[in-house]
Amino acid sequence: MLVVVAPLLVLIVTSFAHGWFYPRVLPSSFDVSAWADLFAIGAHRDALMNSLSLGVATAVVATALALPLGRAAALSPRAVRRTIALLAFTAVALPPVALGVGLQLSVLSLGLGGTLSGVLLAHLVPALGYLTLVFLGVFTRWDARVDETAATLGANGFARWRLVLIPLLRRPIAEALALGFLVSWAQVALTLLVGGGAVRTLPLDVLAMLQAGQDQRAAVGALALTIPALIVLGASRAAARNTPAVVA
Amino acid sequence: MTPLLDVRALQVSFGDASHASIGLRDVTFSVLGGDCLAVLGASGSGKSSLLRTLAGLQSSVAGEIVANGRTVTTLPAEQRDVVYLHQEPVLFPHLRVIDNVAFPLVLRGIAKAAAQRRALEWLQRLQVGDVAQNKADALSGGQRHRVALARALCAEPAVLLLDEPLASLDPAVRRDVRAALLEARAASGAAMVLVTHDVDDALAVATHIAAIGSGRVTAPATPHAILAMPPDLETARLLGIFSEVPGIIVPRADGAEFNWSGGTVAAGHLPAGSAVAVLRAHDVQLHAADHASAHACTVLARNDAAHDVVLTLRGANETAVQLRVALGTPVAVGDVVHVTLVNARLFPSP
Repeated sequence: MLVVVAPLLVLIVTSFAHGWFYPRVLPSSFDVSAWADLFAIGAHRDALMNSLSLGVATAVVATALALPLGRAAALSPRAVRRTIALLAFTAVALPPVALGVGLQLSVLSLGLGGTLSGVLLAHLVPALGYLTLVFLGVFTRWDARVDETAATLGANGFARWRLVLIPLLRRPIAEALALGFLVSWAQVALTLLVGGGAVRTLPLDVLAMLQAGQDQRAAVGALALTIPALIVLGASRAAARNTPAVVA
Repeated sequence: MTPLLDVRALQVSFGDASHASIGLRDVTFSVLGGDCLAVLGASGSGKSSLLRTLAGLQSSVAGEIVANGRTVTTLPAEQRDVVYLHQEPVLFPHLRVIDNVAFPLVLRGIAKAAAQRRALEWLQRLQVGDVAQNKADALSGGQRHRVALARALCAEPAVLLLDEPLASLDPAVRRDVRAALLEARAASGAAMVLVTHDVDDALAVATHIAAIGSGRVTAPATPHAILAMPPDLETARLLGIFSEVPGIIVPRADGAEFNWSGGTVAAGHLPAGSAVAVLRAHDVQLHAADHASAHACTVLARNDAAHDVVLTLRGANETAVQLRVALGTPVAVGDVVHVTLVNARLFPSP
């Protein structure tokens, strides 16, 4: 608990601290200038908006793809299921720099180097890996009798998704959206390599501010990175509440 | 009268798609609307595979399934007009009971309020109207069965398939669900097929019984007919109410004779060879005095059961046989009795 709370407290104090240098125990004064700059300075605002839009798009697209992919994998013969799981795990387990270099070449060949779309494609790779593993786990334990019952009562594939599966999967879907958002939100290496510096996101801005010795602004940026993560996690837990589990 | 379910020369596979093998061959039967066929079989005989094939939850290898005059053999489950109820009732946990029952009507585009009115009618018919507003996971075992039945009937299917609905229920719930099945049969015009391994369940609910085993399904017969004359030894064994007496059929000038360790029985014109006589308790008569066609047998053991008494006897050739006799039969271990077999059904030894 302390290892989580202590750095956050330091960040909060630093974000308001003016002239806080070693060996001072406390800052000489406090102000909100760095917080105002986050929204006032166009570059920071753009970086924040890029991060938000990339996070939302990654969450939605990766969830929309991983949900049917995880289900198809779970219903497939064991060899197919294991292959899909291995590919998904590879996308998660590869070092981001190695993955980024490979993706950079692919994205460049598509003419998307240095674009928001290119970075989105890059973020989707690890997000899709994570979420496919999540839904593979969900559907491996899924009670197939629920689908069968709905089918023999007259529900076609679309109706089964709409009236049965999605309502029952509210919890894992909410968690997947949160996870997809967070994978993109915290991404540095892939954004840097595929975005080529042309696509600015909040994590990149925080690193740049740290390198430039702008500790107060960096602290504000770091806290700004934390807040949506906490909101997303809280929202996903709230959405998941009272959702019945349907596992065999 | 046209049957609502007509199954013709169906082949059913066992196992999943990757390890399937032909399990049942040449399955042919039909069920009229309002009738209930109980398919009686041991575990692993393919009862559930048969139902799943009829429901479209697994594909058939060959043959034809006709539901309500329409060939549905290759149609997906949702287009068959066939509702399948799992052994353990599956209710949608995110819906209230009334919405579970209204589910098939909502699928057809019926307005929610109208669908709920119809759903409530079915719930009331099956005597669970009072739980309509409950969540599905707040019901007792018997209520879950009744709600699942109400939902199935609300779909107004041509065919209703019931996969061992009474298995693994405690006696009180079992009685309750049996009653619900009878109510469902009376209230619905659907052709019902129920699979079970329990002859009492079959007798309680079904209008016809067929047996499944060795990759075949016997021709359906009324419960009375199948009890009077099982179509084969395997079915007789499955029914679990018969004694088996081994012996030999010996040809005679005036007709064959079945010789067993306790005596002889006329065997009509059956071919010579090893045979098994199957008998119900009331087919066995014990006599204290000598009898023309009976040897003296010694009672080695007596086991009193709920419906009959099982006696272990040693006959003339020292072979021990077990016979079911009527409750209250006044014999004790060590008694010497003479046994005559009335109405013995003879089958060649397997």
